[in-house]
Amino acid sequence: MAKLTIDGKEIEVPDGTSLFDACRDARGEDLPHFCYHPDLSVAGVCRLCQVEVEGMPKLTIACNTGVRDGMVVHTRNERVTRASKQILEMHLINHPVDCPICDQAGECGLQNQYMAHGLYDTKVEKVDKVHKSKAQVIGPHVILDQERCVLCSRCVRFCAEVTGTGEMGIFNRGDRARIGTAPGVELDNDYSLNTVDICPVGALTSRDFRFQKRVWMLKAADSVCPGCATGCNVRIDHEAGRIYRLKPRYNPEVNGRWMCDKGRMTYKAVHDENRLGDPLVGGKVETWDGVAGTLAKLVGEGGFGLVVGSPYQSLEEIHLLKSLGKDAPLSGGLADSGQGTGDDLLQDADQTPNRKGLELLGVAQHDGPALADLIRNAAGSVLILGGDPAADPTVAAALTEKDSVIYVGTHGDKTAGLAKVVLPGCMWAEKAGIFVNRNGRLQEFKQAVARHGNAREDWRILSELMTVRNNPDVPGSLKGVRDELAGSVAADVDLNKLPARGFLPGGEAR
Amino acid sequence: MRKILVGMSTCGMSAGAKDTYAELEGLLPEDSQDELTITGCIGMCFREPLVEIREGQTRTIYGDVDPKRAAEIFETHIVGGQEIPEYVIYKTEKDEAVSGSELSFLADQERIVLRNCGLINPESIEDYESRGGYQATRKSIEELAPEEIVEEMKTSGIRGRGGAGFPTGLKWSFAAGYSGEAKYIVCNADEGDPGAFMDRSILEGDPHAVLEGMIICARAIGGTHGYIYCRAEYPLAIHRLQLAIEAARARGYLGENIMGSDFVFDITIKQGAGAFVCGEETALFASIEGERGMPRIRPPFPAESGVFGQPTNNNNVETYANVPWIINNGGQAYRSYGTEKSPGTKVFALAGKIAKGGLAEVPMGMTIEKILFGIGGGIKDGREFKAVQMGGPSGGCIPASLKHTPVDFENIPKTGAIMGSGGMVVMDDTTCMVDMARFFLAFTQEESCGKCTFCRIGTLRMLEILERITRGEGQLEDIDALTELGGRIKEASLCGLGQTAPNPVLSTIRYYMDEFTAHIVDHSCPAGNCPALVDFVIKAENCTGCSICAKVCPVEAISGVLKQPFIIDTEACVQCGKCLTSCNFDAIFKVGKKVAAK
Repeated sequence: MAKLTIDGKEIEVPDGTSLFDACRDARGEDLPHFCYHPDLSVAGVCRLCQVEVEGMPKLTIACNTGVRDGMVVHTRNERVTRASKQILEMHLINHPVDCPICDQAGECGLQNQYMAHGLYDTKVEKVDKVHKSKAQVIGPHVILDQERCVLCSRCVRFCAEVTGTGEMGIFNRGDRARIGTAPGVELDNDYSLNTVDICPVGALTSRDFRFQKRVWMLKAADSVCPGCATGCNVRIDHEAGRIYRLKPRYNPEVNGRWMCDKGRMTYKAVHDENRLGDPLVGGKVETWDGVAGTLAKLVGEGGFGLVVGSPYQSLEEIHLLKSLGKDAPLSGGLADSGQGTGDDLLQDADQTPNRKGLELLGVAQHDGPALADLIRNAAGSVLILGGDPAADPTVAAALTEKDSVIYVGTHGDKTAGLAKVVLPGCMWAEKAGIFVNRNGRLQEFKQAVARHGNAREDWRILSELMTVRNNPDVPGSLKGVRDELAGSVAADVDLNKLPARGFLPGGEAR
Repeated sequence: MRKILVGMSTCGMSAGAKDTYAELEGLLPEDSQDELTITGCIGMCFREPLVEIREGQTRTIYGDVDPKRAAEIFETHIVGGQEIPEYVIYKTEKDEAVSGSELSFLADQERIVLRNCGLINPESIEDYESRGGYQATRKSIEELAPEEIVEEMKTSGIRGRGGAGFPTGLKWSFAAGYSGEAKYIVCNADEGDPGAFMDRSILEGDPHAVLEGMIICARAIGGTHGYIYCRAEYPLAIHRLQLAIEAARARGYLGENIMGSDFVFDITIKQGAGAFVCGEETALFASIEGERGMPRIRPPFPAESGVFGQPTNNNNVETYANVPWIINNGGQAYRSYGTEKSPGTKVFALAGKIAKGGLAEVPMGMTIEKILFGIGGGIKDGREFKAVQMGGPSGGCIPASLKHTPVDFENIPKTGAIMGSGGMVVMDDTTCMVDMARFFLAFTQEESCGKCTFCRIGTLRMLEILERITRGEGQLEDIDALTELGGRIKEASLCGLGQTAPNPVLSTIRYYMDEFTAHIVDHSCPAGNCPALVDFVIKAENCTGCSICAKVCPVEAISGVLKQPFIIDTEACVQCGKCLTSCNFDAIFKVGKKVAAK
């Protein structure tokens, strides 16, 4: 341990801590910085985190200085403040003041630093700014404005160190230096939008989010990416019922500070034109009241002959499905559905968010022919919860033969086209729930936006169906479902109060 | 049998040595007993092309030998056996200088680094061996333990000749203390300071000395591979290095089982693409690795993690060239030259407004005056000595008033300049110091890698201010802005380039404040240099009234009566300079604006 004094405050930190981190601990906030990033190598280029260390003749950059026992550090004295002001003055000389049309405005490092440490009254007489290329499309997701760039090199280091793809580089020298990609090279890797996240200014912006919304209008909901079994923690940025973007939410146990581009686009399905907004009976739009009679006939009389879940549904929903089909055969849906390609970084080949949840609750999955057989042999109505199993032709054929299929779905997919009754459910962003990721970690996602049309949360639809079956244990709330479920997951877990970083039954693997 | 040596370094060749060589080659009969060969630069660049005739223990060096003079020398000296005394610039008998017009140039020099330059054919390993070459390598392998080599280097007290002056022996001992998959021995030959050509001359004149220094270093600290990082602008140096490496390999001095031992070491040349910043060692390492030449942060220091993340020792060309001498003669012998804290000798490149521009090696501690006036022959055209810039764009200027300063690592920094790699750019009274500062800053601004904020943007801001001042649009506050900004750039830059970039400006402000105020307040350039701040005047005593100037003046600003002194209407003059170049009588001068009006 090293004991040091920062701005008169004594703190003790482990040996090997960087002075940058020690200063954050002591100050309760970060030192001003552009280039430092905890997950990237130290570049030491912006020089904003300069502090005064007693005994050292020059100001020193905290990001590249290790703590030493007995160090006396000043981070807010006049000398340090003056240096930061002057650095910002340098940056502002060439920076275009296009904040009104810049997507970064509101979450911009330069704006924030300038509010805190600005010189405001520049000593530099105006000369021509250095002009560089603007609005340059450098890849499928990212657009580059070289004039806004402060050359912190985070994007360069990200592509070199995290993805190992090395698309970004610094070209030319001196004040002509600029960030860019080599001729003929595109910033086209599966994680390219992370460069937008780590860009402290508006030099790299997302083509998807560009000019869509001022960031300060956005509200945020903590969620989990439904794109694959990894379950990256995300933040859903939304406003007035519309989702604008997903941003990674820090979770050192799962995704760190990153997420993949594909995951970021999963929100698009929420606003798909093909979304189901009303119940359908025989392909005709019905009200929920209007569909009740049909349901009573299908379920109340004959009961369920088969219930089918899917790895796209939440843990709570699968649990309800299980109790709903107490006397009927249960399937977790198609065993091999949702398979893609994974990588070593975050993407999993299993592109469903909750297959582990099915396993946790002991729900077996079947392949196409097996599921088709189950459907054909079902004595009673068939309830399918999401997952579009009819995408498999053998299942589709079996479903065609059945006249008593109830499908709870979100989109007008194949299964919706074949089911007798279609009930509109919610997408993950419109409801709350728990996914179990590939490592068995239980992670909660919260509702971000209102339900689409007349869709209802799936757990509500399922309890509705239980009522039809005169089940006395109909849960009145999601909280109730969770309380009931907790026992079958792990001892002493409160599923209504999962930690922000999720819960791993059996403890964190260390 | 005699040897005829033509100085064929870049300095000689640009003065026409190739033609001289061709002339002599044509004249020399095929069955001649005399041998025509080449040699490197002996330092007297101002008299190139040089031709030496060596007979027994007598060496006669002729200067300014164009083909015509070469033919003359051939007829008279080689065929007729008579020397032509008026062409002889330097003559020695048994290593004693006896006559010649340039005796003073070499008289006060001590040649350790340049011991072979101008004496041997740099493309012949036999020549190098005949002067004791590779004996130090043999001694290092057969007689000395690695630690003893490092110890000898420590004893010598030699400090890095690249400019920073870090004790070489200490540096070697650091690198010796680390191990890795490989250990690299790097030679920094990316000489980039304007006006510096020491390393180039050494590489062109005695490449084996550098190779030998690297081999000994590798032996001492466990080096496995060597890189010479040489700028591509030195094609001749690269060519001769390549020849030297191949010859050394053929001799078994490089490669496997060097000199029959189990010592393995080889050297690769890596060409730099002309970035000044690549002279900074971490940027140089990045460039060797094939990365963009940008400095990296330290720690880790090169001794621990340098090229490809492996332990690395990096020294300058001149430092390595010293090594074989030190091993052969002992560290104590080396210490007998120079001063206590700066032992040994240092090579300087004399350039600018100096009478005898060239290369000189002197013991450390010699005064500036002795180097410039004793060896360099004073100022060109007998003008007044104003200042000398040392350390290139990283250094500063030393005014004439400090000419008694001893040149060593202790005293030069006190003046605000730095030792640097050895470039001395001399200025006379026609040099405008503001413009000089602007020139060097323009260089560093152009060459900044763009990594650190202040170096990238701050140098440009300083340059803009200086340009404004040289245009007569400056304000007195600008000087404060320059000082403040300069201080910030020095303090907040990662590498040596940025940390020293403001030095030329800061040292000029320190010594030549009056010139700054003249530019700013009087709108006048006292040195008559900055175009916007000068007047063209005709000196009546010199003017013959020939009227040529009036005829070439595009704005009819010159008038007069034939055969009477003409005058220039300074209001009408646009400072194009045509009159000045057309005048055959040195009658037209540039003077600072207000000075003329007074």
